[in-house]
Amino acid sequence: MYRLVAILMVLLMGNVFADKHADHSNLGEEASSIKASGKIFHTDGLDVIRKMHPDFLNHKRDKTLREGVRTKEGSLKGCVNCHAIKDKKTNQYHPVNDKDQFCSTCHQQVSVSVDCFSCHRTTPRKGTK
Amino acid sequence: MSKTLNRRDFIKTSSATTVGVATIVSGITLTTFAANANENPVTNEKRWGMLIDTNKLTEVEIDGMVSACQQENGWGSEVHSTGDQKPTWVRKLKVQDKATGKITSLPLMCQHCEEPPCVDVCPTNASMKREDGIVLVDKHLCIGCRYCMMACPYDARSFVHEDLTDQREHMPRGKGTVESCTLCVHKVDNGESPACVASVNSDAVIFGDLYDPKSNINQTLKKVQSAQIRADLDLNTGVRYSGI
Ligand code: SF4
Ligand code: SF4
Repeated sequence: MYRLVAILMVLLMGNVFADKHADHSNLGEEASSIKASGKIFHTDGLDVIRKMHPDFLNHKRDKTLREGVRTKEGSLKGCVNCHAIKDKKTNQYHPVNDKDQFCSTCHQQVSVSVDCFSCHRTTPRKGTK
Repeated sequence: MSKTLNRRDFIKTSSATTVGVATIVSGITLTTFAANANENPVTNEKRWGMLIDTNKLTEVEIDGMVSACQQENGWGSEVHSTGDQKPTWVRKLKVQDKATGKITSLPLMCQHCEEPPCVDVCPTNASMKREDGIVLVDKHLCIGCRYCMMACPYDARSFVHEDLTDQREHMPRGKGTVESCTLCVHKVDNGESPACVASVNSDAVIFGDLYDPKSNINQTLKKVQSAQIRADLDLNTGVRYSGI
């Protein structure tokens, strides 16, 4: 029985992590150029960032908000800046949480609603304005 | 990532990885160096404060402070909120001396109390005070009960009544949570002054570390007479006023 469950889990996980966007069309502009240059940003490995990013973000949010630690590591701003893509026609960024955008594909698939973006900005913008 | 990785591909990817790590590591070293001040948690060795000289500050300058705050933090363009629902982080207040009838205008924002009632009443620990005295709302934890709004003697807090988009990158704001002046904490952590302070072209408003004997604010507070609004409440505010 346990073995069956385990197999089922493995199959499901495979499904979760199976890349619907195998062409990486929604990877984001900066992320794509990092990838193209052969560099690796998430040095712990993609499986780690895929599985653990909620923990990384929660940890960082407390550090930043409550303790004023403002390093770049685990910053949601960083995710958005790197993983947003521009619409080819309008030259405007798609919000990262729009349907089929980077922050949505997996969450859509597993029916998870994220609440980051009711407050956080969804497109990159540097500076104060 | 491709699922069928043969040995040759694997070697290619891993050698690319090694190069990548080296580059990234040097990149990280550089950024960490630049962001040195922000690596460590803030401590109670500092206490941020502001001194507002109402005799020097003109009404135009107060309006300028309000719009600088709006510009910096992105509030004030809510379209569906009416009247009292509109967020107000800082506003121009007129106070009148009952005896002489003298009217003084002053900007009133969160006073960053040392003993903040808004923190005492919060059921979720969302309303919080940093070690360096800056009082904030952790919107991740705020349930929108608005107890803090009722507890604040300065009416300094607002509730966001509508869905927002296009927030400032450094200032997340959203419906159903309470917000107030953050003393531009994102700037302060960067070694800058709050936006409202920077908008005034004189020394009518000064910002700094109240505890540091070398700071302008500490030295000025030792020289001039200053007051806390509702000092009777014993909240020991970080924002002080002179000329009232
Ligand atoms: S002024 Fe109001 S919101 Fe600010 S710390 Fe004091 S009680 Fe809290
Ligand atoms: S509205 Fe939010 S911050 Fe204020 S008391 Fe309630 S939970 Fe705390």
